[in-house]
Amino acid sequence: MTRTMTRSQWAGLSVLLGLLVFSFMGMVFSPYSISQQDLNAVLDPPSMVHWLGTDHFGRSMFTRMAHAVGLSFALGVLCVVTSSLLGTALGVWAVWGGKKVDHALGVVVNILLALPGLVVVLLFAAIVPGSFWILYLAISLVQWVEYFRVVRAITQNVIESPARQSSHMMGFGRWYQFKRHIWPAIAPSVFTLAAFGGANAILTMASLGFVYVGIQPPLAELGLMTVELFPFYSDAPWLLAQPLVVIALMVFGFHLLAGKRV
Amino acid sequence: MSVLLKLTDVAVYVGDTCLLEPISLELKQGVPLTILGQTGSGKSLLAQAVMGLLPATLSLRGVVEVFGKPLPLSERQSLWGREMVMLPQEPWHALDPLMKGIHQVAEVYQHVQGQSYQQAMAGAAQDLQQVGLADSAHKRPGQLSGGMAQRLAISAATAGGAHVILADEPTKGLDVSRRDGIVRLLQSRSAQGSLLTITHDVAIARQLGGELLVMKEGRLVEQGKAVEVLDHPQDSYTQALIAAEPIAWREVARPSRDQAAETVLMAENIAIARGGRTLFEGVSFSVKKGEVVGVVGDSGCGKSSLGDALLGLLPVSAGKITRSNNTAKPYQWLKLYQDPPSAFTASVSLGTLLNDLVRLHGIAQERIAPLMTRLNLPETLLQRSCLEVSGGELQRFAILRALLLDPVFLFADEPTSRLDPITAKDVTHLLVELARETGCAVLMVSHDPDLVQKTCDQVIAL
Amino acid sequence: MKAMLLKRALQLVTVVWGVGTLTFILMRSLPGDMAYRIAASRYGQDNVNSEAAALVREELSLDQGAFAAYWHWLLDLLQLNLGHSLVSGAPVTEIVNHMLGHSLLLALAGLLVSILIAVPVGLLCAWRGNPLDSVFMGLSSLIRAIPVFVLGVVFILLFALHWNWFPVAGFGTPAHLVLPALTLALSLAAVSNRVVRDSAKHTFQAAFYQFSKVKGLSAWQTFRRHGARNIAVPVVAFFGIQLVSMIEGIVMIESLFSWPGIGHGLAHAIFARDIPVIQGAALVMGILFVALNTLVDMLCLWIDPRGVRQS
Repeated sequence: MTRTMTRSQWAGLSVLLGLLVFSFMGMVFSPYSISQQDLNAVLDPPSMVHWLGTDHFGRSMFTRMAHAVGLSFALGVLCVVTSSLLGTALGVWAVWGGKKVDHALGVVVNILLALPGLVVVLLFAAIVPGSFWILYLAISLVQWVEYFRVVRAITQNVIESPARQSSHMMGFGRWYQFKRHIWPAIAPSVFTLAAFGGANAILTMASLGFVYVGIQPPLAELGLMTVELFPFYSDAPWLLAQPLVVIALMVFGFHLLAGKRV
Repeated sequence: MSVLLKLTDVAVYVGDTCLLEPISLELKQGVPLTILGQTGSGKSLLAQAVMGLLPATLSLRGVVEVFGKPLPLSERQSLWGREMVMLPQEPWHALDPLMKGIHQVAEVYQHVQGQSYQQAMAGAAQDLQQVGLADSAHKRPGQLSGGMAQRLAISAATAGGAHVILADEPTKGLDVSRRDGIVRLLQSRSAQGSLLTITHDVAIARQLGGELLVMKEGRLVEQGKAVEVLDHPQDSYTQALIAAEPIAWREVARPSRDQAAETVLMAENIAIARGGRTLFEGVSFSVKKGEVVGVVGDSGCGKSSLGDALLGLLPVSAGKITRSNNTAKPYQWLKLYQDPPSAFTASVSLGTLLNDLVRLHGIAQERIAPLMTRLNLPETLLQRSCLEVSGGELQRFAILRALLLDPVFLFADEPTSRLDPITAKDVTHLLVELARETGCAVLMVSHDPDLVQKTCDQVIAL
Repeated sequence: MKAMLLKRALQLVTVVWGVGTLTFILMRSLPGDMAYRIAASRYGQDNVNSEAAALVREELSLDQGAFAAYWHWLLDLLQLNLGHSLVSGAPVTEIVNHMLGHSLLLALAGLLVSILIAVPVGLLCAWRGNPLDSVFMGLSSLIRAIPVFVLGVVFILLFALHWNWFPVAGFGTPAHLVLPALTLALSLAAVSNRVVRDSAKHTFQAAFYQFSKVKGLSAWQTFRRHGARNIAVPVVAFFGIQLVSMIEGIVMIESLFSWPGIGHGLAHAIFARDIPVIQGAALVMGILFVALNTLVDMLCLWIDPRGVRQS
């Protein structure tokens, strides 16, 4: 994979790795916790003590941003891994498992596609407010469908291709056919979908935080921080800018990594 | 006899690399001119250069004179439709997929000739009737067969009144039986002007007559009257090209069947239906060991489906197929595909694919080298992927893979139709020879009756 | 056509069932005595007594078994018996009806502006090529990376708070519509202009496009007769895909700009745990989604009569 990566894909990877390092440093080395208040130092600009300033409760923005980025990455990675594995496996199974399997999976997919993804996630989020795991579940549930549809369509073509048919006739088993024919055909699309999926998962969590129904205070979450810091846009614009810039950077990084559109 | 089109030292370059070496020719009123050559010989570039359709990355040198005047590109473009026109290679792609056939002809009368909508529609309807498309006038291109689409394209191209017609592989992808009609139509449309045809097909060059140019790798190798060049070719390349026509092949079919040979397969009264339509029925034959059986017929008649059914890839709707050889393993019933690159995965090198096969079936390594030599496959081929070798090499590699499994039956689905004629001849002969030597039965599907006649012991016409 | 309508009808049933089931689970999963809580939010903390709670319990069939209650719940939903808001006490149908109008206004305005941006930009990029193409495509990748609510916040900061050109949030005058619609339009156009450009590029290079010129038609005649329609096919099909982004965008933008539409209502209701309104809003959003999808399907069929859109 790395051999064929373009320059912009490397750029995207660097942005994401940079943010990851930032998050790791903040979580491990910061002397402050995300909820530690210091009402004598509210809305401080960046300084040697607080590298990114303090928020309206005097909490360390560096610590909070690091945790928020970490949370976003954790969700993004979990969702990508879950949904890509599930979607790819089921997509191949739908083609190989015969008409009945395909039909049953088709019904499930149509149910999930009946409503826009964000609305499904919102309804799930309402069931267990503020839960990270329900967000993970809901987002993965919405996202695997995308992999499923793409993988199924490509696999269908590969199954019918002379190359796969020829391997089959020469006595090669299913694992070989998957390894040599199906995986090489679907891998680029799965990779692209995964990169966009990571961006979407992070975006969805931030969106829910932004409308106040996602992760709840006092936890640090990028969308939530945007709303919390919005009232101070004129007193401390550098604070509001932080979550906004970081969300955009994360999404941009994933988009660059994706390389092409699906 | 006036000169309609005159090219003086016309050459095509990409950057400083020459794709088409300087060429000069004259297209005269009433004398068709044919350019003959294989794919990649630069002949399509020549037609594009004349029309002014070269992609922006290519540059044209030399002088193109139309009706006696040297005309720059923009002025040649203003002649499109009214004075000269080019027929596309693939009519399906050259017709608007969303527009009904009659409108694609009528719009030329309306917008190029300036007629009213009613007049234009009437004119178009008459044109389509002339070429036998009256019933299909309101169909979209996707609903037409290749031959019908080409007739529609010719009607649309010539409605603007152009008499100088450039035709780039006008019969590509058409059945042999449809070719003559298209060529005659082109001849009648260009009767008042002239016709410049580009083709790889010697038969078409013969049929068109007039002047002939033979090209190889961007270079002119021979030029003269078609009859003379084709009957007494001087250049060795022209000779090879003519000899590669199936009709000129030496006979390798055995005159009589070897009754003693054991039967591999029996088909009794089989019928095949696809998409609710019966393709053929009541077909019976038997295939003996080492026998080459040919199947001919127009496209869509079910000849490929027959082969797939014999291999068990498709169900038959009636009849019975019996495999007499019970000791043969399933993997000894194999298929050669029409389009060699599509039959291989490009994800790994050909060598890896070969190793996979050797390991799976425990094939002796020492069998490979002699067979590769026999098939004229260089050792270096194994380091490349299927996209990095030529179609002929890949098809020979496919034969190698098949033969290593000691097949009892091989279904060759138009194995050489995508190859250049000279390569096609070599591959076909190799396949037939090796099948005879190893005792493998071959079912060879082809659209070319001559090819089957010359190579097969038994012919099934569908 | 028939198959398409049947498919959409099935989707509608799925929407109703999905929304009903999720809101039912939601209601059951709330902690504490449901009836008491609901009564409290309905009549105010001071006026709650066991009598009021019992009334609520009966009204929402809270004392029945889970399955019976579920059945009852779905039946109510099928009859469009959506109940009353737990917060304001107003009938949900009325509330939702009111919100729908506002959302449609925003959606149509956003879509219209996005078309006005995406189509000319996409065509221009395909026609002129580089460097214009690279500039616009780079710009749209940049906008695509900015989440729609971040885009909205930036617009508010710049155009409302810094320059005071437009009101910050709310609803009333046409000026209130400008920023929300522009935010939606830009986020949609940043994606769809690329589809227009790709489709146009593809069409301009197609053999039939060249053949039309070779037949003698002028560049403009060729574009009008063979370009426009062929370019439109994938673009219109893409609108179907983009409906998801549009509805998601509406949720975020309405919340940000306090635009009194369904998205705003839904987010608010979830925050306030106002289950009847959650149900009503999600339902209408789903129905809107199905209706718009059907519209796109029909448009596709009209532009490209060869076959129904595959999706």
